[in-house]
Amino acid sequence: MKKIVELKNITKSFDGDPVLKGINLDIYDNEFLTLLGPSGCGKTTLLRLIGGFDTPDEGDVLFLGERINDLPPHQRSVNTVFQKYALFPHLNVYENVAFPLREKKVPKEEIQERVQEMLSLVALTGFEHRNVTRLSGGQQQRVAIARALIAHPRVLLLDEPLGALDLKLRKDMQVELKKIQKQTGITFIFVTHDQEEALSMSDTVVVMSEGRIHQIGTSVDIYNEPVNAFVADFIGESNILDGVMLADYKVRFSGAKFQCLDAGFGKNEPVDVVVRPEDVDIVPLEQGQLTGVVTSVTFLGVHYEIIVDVGGFKWMIQTTDFVDVDEEIGIQLEPDAIHIMKKSEYSDLYGDYSSFSNELEELSNETLGEEEE
Amino acid sequence: MKTTARPARRQVLALGPYSAWAVLFILVPLLFVAYYAFTDDNFRFTLEHIQRFFTATSSAEGGEVHTYLLIFWRSLKLALISTAICLVLGYPIAYIMARAKPKVQKTFMTVIMIPMWMNFLIRTYAWMTILQDTGILNNFLAALHLGRIHIIGTEAAVVIGMVYDYFPYMILPLYSIMAKMDVKLLEAARDLGCSSFGVLRRVVWPLSLPGVISGVNMVLIPSISTFYISQKLGDGKFFLIGDAIEGQYVANNLHFAAAIAFVLMVVLLACMALLNHLAAQRTEGGGL
Amino acid sequence: MRLSAKIYTALILLFLFAPIVILLVFSFNSGNSLSVFSGFSLHWYQELFRDANTLGALKNTLVLALAASLLSTIMGTAAAVGINKLRNRYLKSALHTATNIPMVNPDIITGISLMLMFVFVGRLMGLGTSLNFWTMLIAHITFCLPYVILQVLPKLRQLDPALSEAAMDLGCTPVRAFLKVELPEIMPGVLTGMIMAFTLSLDDFVISYFTAGNGFETLPIRIYSMTKKTVTPKMYALATLIFFAILTLLVVSNLMDDSGEEGTAKRRRDPRRGGKFLAGGVVAVALVLIAVTSIAGGQNVRTLNVYNWGEYISDGSDGSLNTITAFETWYEETYGEKVKVNYSTYASNEDLYAKLKSGAVSYDVIIPSDYMIARLQEEGMLRPLNFDNIPNYEYIGEDFRGLYYDPEERYTVPYTYGVVGVIYNANQVDPEDAQGWDLLWNQKYSRAILQFNNARDAFGTAMYRLGIDVNTLDKRQWDRAFQSLVEQRSLVKAYVMDEIFNALEAGEADVGAYYAGDYFTMVDAQAPTVDLQFYYPETTNYFFDAMCVPDCCQDQELAEIFINYMLSEEPAIANAEYLYYACPNRLVYENEDYQEEMGEEVMEILYPEIEGFAELYNRYAYRNLPDEMLTYMNTLWEQVKIN
Repeated sequence: MKKIVELKNITKSFDGDPVLKGINLDIYDNEFLTLLGPSGCGKTTLLRLIGGFDTPDEGDVLFLGERINDLPPHQRSVNTVFQKYALFPHLNVYENVAFPLREKKVPKEEIQERVQEMLSLVALTGFEHRNVTRLSGGQQQRVAIARALIAHPRVLLLDEPLGALDLKLRKDMQVELKKIQKQTGITFIFVTHDQEEALSMSDTVVVMSEGRIHQIGTSVDIYNEPVNAFVADFIGESNILDGVMLADYKVRFSGAKFQCLDAGFGKNEPVDVVVRPEDVDIVPLEQGQLTGVVTSVTFLGVHYEIIVDVGGFKWMIQTTDFVDVDEEIGIQLEPDAIHIMKKSEYSDLYGDYSSFSNELEELSNETLGEEEE
Repeated sequence: MKTTARPARRQVLALGPYSAWAVLFILVPLLFVAYYAFTDDNFRFTLEHIQRFFTATSSAEGGEVHTYLLIFWRSLKLALISTAICLVLGYPIAYIMARAKPKVQKTFMTVIMIPMWMNFLIRTYAWMTILQDTGILNNFLAALHLGRIHIIGTEAAVVIGMVYDYFPYMILPLYSIMAKMDVKLLEAARDLGCSSFGVLRRVVWPLSLPGVISGVNMVLIPSISTFYISQKLGDGKFFLIGDAIEGQYVANNLHFAAAIAFVLMVVLLACMALLNHLAAQRTEGGGL
Repeated sequence: MRLSAKIYTALILLFLFAPIVILLVFSFNSGNSLSVFSGFSLHWYQELFRDANTLGALKNTLVLALAASLLSTIMGTAAAVGINKLRNRYLKSALHTATNIPMVNPDIITGISLMLMFVFVGRLMGLGTSLNFWTMLIAHITFCLPYVILQVLPKLRQLDPALSEAAMDLGCTPVRAFLKVELPEIMPGVLTGMIMAFTLSLDDFVISYFTAGNGFETLPIRIYSMTKKTVTPKMYALATLIFFAILTLLVVSNLMDDSGEEGTAKRRRDPRRGGKFLAGGVVAVALVLIAVTSIAGGQNVRTLNVYNWGEYISDGSDGSLNTITAFETWYEETYGEKVKVNYSTYASNEDLYAKLKSGAVSYDVIIPSDYMIARLQEEGMLRPLNFDNIPNYEYIGEDFRGLYYDPEERYTVPYTYGVVGVIYNANQVDPEDAQGWDLLWNQKYSRAILQFNNARDAFGTAMYRLGIDVNTLDKRQWDRAFQSLVEQRSLVKAYVMDEIFNALEAGEADVGAYYAGDYFTMVDAQAPTVDLQFYYPETTNYFFDAMCVPDCCQDQELAEIFINYMLSEEPAIANAEYLYYACPNRLVYENEDYQEEMGEEVMEILYPEIEGFAELYNRYAYRNLPDEMLTYMNTLWEQVKIN
């Protein structure tokens, strides 16, 4: 596959605060790549460097092998769908979409043709003369996409484009975006802090935090094989426990020994052990490798989410079986449910559900979203 | 580097002419005021003019007074009274305007602006016709058997003239800040148990402070230095600081005129800096 | 709106529009008073359209306001964009401060500071005329700039920065991105800024007053200069016309808004549309007015700059001769080439002197009074005239030649003269009291007495009364006069110049001293309850205003041709009839038509039979005082005023 954008050793700081700390990333033609990370991790800045709105302090941005650090945005074959769309309020739908072509002095007939084509791509035929400020969020979104695609860029940058939409609409747009990307064959670089969105749409996910890239991989890799506690926690729910590698395929944590599928660690090396809540089996007390007391049960429709106190550490477990609060239960883990990671600076920060609350989680997600703006 | 150079060049293009203009025609002229204020006719350094401002005395009923300090105080007093009246009269109007329908707001704005399009000297003349002893106002009062009042030639007449001429300058900044105020804030305050007056005092007033500051500024400044209004409506009896400067200019004492202007400028700039500083403390970054 | 709010609004509107109504009503006055309405007439509108000088001043005002508002809008918008993008905090706050200075500085200081600089720089560079249209334009742009910037900046701050990035992303260069995307968004602010700048420039008097120069007179300056002959309802007519022009504009712009799009789309687009239309309208109206008023003007080949008292030349009103235009026509007929007269006005001799002394102006003909002529001549600021070019000088009466201010008849040609007399309201003043200067000090008429609002004339009245030589160099004598003025102060209703017309006509005051000819103007306009009478005190002030050529003159020959023309019969009579002052020209005072036109009573008062006129004049007229005495007098005068 052809590399379309390469980022080499990029650093960037604003007013002395480092925002990007040595980023290396190759982006390939035709791929749907997502930059995923909490707010302030530098993903939007990275996007702006590719778009040409900022220049790196150090390092190079290459486009098809050529250094484009200093190329202004209007000379790059890269277009952007902005966070809040940045539609021009004084122009109607047609003129917004036609804008890039007018700039290029494309003949009128061709503009007409291509705008119609774009509007039908985003299913907005018939909206040509609408005032953009009077469109719904989803419609504005589509206009922004049409406008960004009409000049046939090689790369489309999307900066949290779905953040302002409600859940249902967001799901629809995810499907639609994916479809458009397939149809047009344009490389999409998508920025989001929503891991679900990232996993469902991307060919490649890039997990970032604090100006660094943690992991680059397919959705499945990222989910199943997080490289460290941060990624494990950020992608989905995880119970992360301190463990010790006794030997290859043998790990000990929570006072018990378990079989696992990981090897290559030193003998008795301390490690992080990740167990996804859906991989935990609840068994009768006497059959459990571990035992614990249920402290809370939340019904979530498809399953229950229960918090279990196992020797002082709170596990989150997703199960379809009903258990009661204060019930004592047994826990069993299959070897493929256990994922071992090297210790890292994030080790003790994540993975305990002792202060967990659904509401808190949602609140913090919302504020994250707002800060990003 | 190319990219950092490019925005810089654009900024020079945008800011260059103005910066040059500001230096040449705002800052340098002020230096000239200082230069003239501290030199004599042959442009040799002297403190004579500044000294004269602070020490010149004249005998008045009730003893010696400091001529220019008295004039300065009188100008300041009349200007402060006018500004206060403008604020008190203008605040409710600005509030009413800001709460009116958008179309009405627009009409309001133009109506407030219209008098400014009539020449200021002409408007002042018209006030003479209204206020004089045999004028419209007194004829009206007499017709109602309310007796006559003597206004022309009093401080009241000068204040009326100032209030009238600078009223729009008070309303415009007040209105523009109140129009921007979110109605939800007022509703929230209501919801949280504020009375109408409470809303005004605890929400509207603090939020409108930047507008108040800028309105006060825009009325106080011109009214402290006016010299036409005092001549026409004050019957030539209210010698204000503006009259003093103009008088010295006409008498060709440019250096003393500059000295008076210099003192006035220093005092006002200090006051305004203080006012803005206080405002900035209260409203964080409110700016003018 | 609640009822209380409605009532309050109504009261405020009443306050705001009361003077406008007055001005509207009195513009239809058939008399020439601003306070006594004598009947409905369109007279003053006719007068206005005949008055090329006033229309010219209107044109100048509009040209200046348009130029200043356009330029300051362009520069200010660019500056706002720059300031908004600026990252350097210190530079940003420095620029903010500089922007705020003209707003926290009184306009009088802005005016004076610019004037000082222009004059100083002009002198350094040896320029003859450093004050002119351009200095005024610079001054106006300077005080308009902050208003534009402060209107545009908030709009820029509200702007989504992504908009311009989006435009650049979609292929715009930064400049095009600004023009195509940001500018339309901040347009309301830009337009408001421009309208404000236009309004402020139009209304400004103080800054214009200090920075005005050669041959470019704006309306406010012209009005301010009307101190000898007062403001007439003509100016009200002008204001009324401006008022209706604006009103029409506003109504039309409102109608345009309403008939725009339907319902929902309106709220967003309309304010901008209306603003755009309004601004466009302002520009259009101004352009039309300029076009209309400039028809009077023509190509200027040879220019003559005349600087005269306000309302001090026959201007074509009442079907009289417009002497300026007449001169231009006559000149073209006689010499076969065009000439353009730039006519501007001053409010007092001292005003004239200050402008001349600044060295920043250039005038070809000035018409100062005697004592000022003496001063100018002493300081070498006048040029000897070449009387070969002024053959009409022969018509100047013998009595009026070689007076003290020009004993050798080298510098001046008398224009007009007059005698100060006392005017009183016979319905209020006992005829027995009506003599001498004591009437102005009479306790019986306390608070009904008017005194001059200028040091020299006010001291004059006191000195004539006390029998002191008005030109004395003895400070004790001045102190005596000063005491007398202080005594009089509590009796004085008002210190006045041209306001005396209004005050006496309306019966506001009953006693005042002024020039003989003006008495008749007042009688014409007096209220029914007022009966104005006139007398000369035994010793009083005689004044001469004479035409001279200052040394800043740039075309002396043309100046002399003009002076000569002014002495010829037709313009001389026109001026004499217009001014209502005595004329030293035999072609005038011996002309029977003129005598008949004036009437016997007027002739008697205007041209009192005086034995040995020259001697009497030389004895009682004001002379130039040394600087020291002038300063002393001014100091005393300030003390009279501040009490």
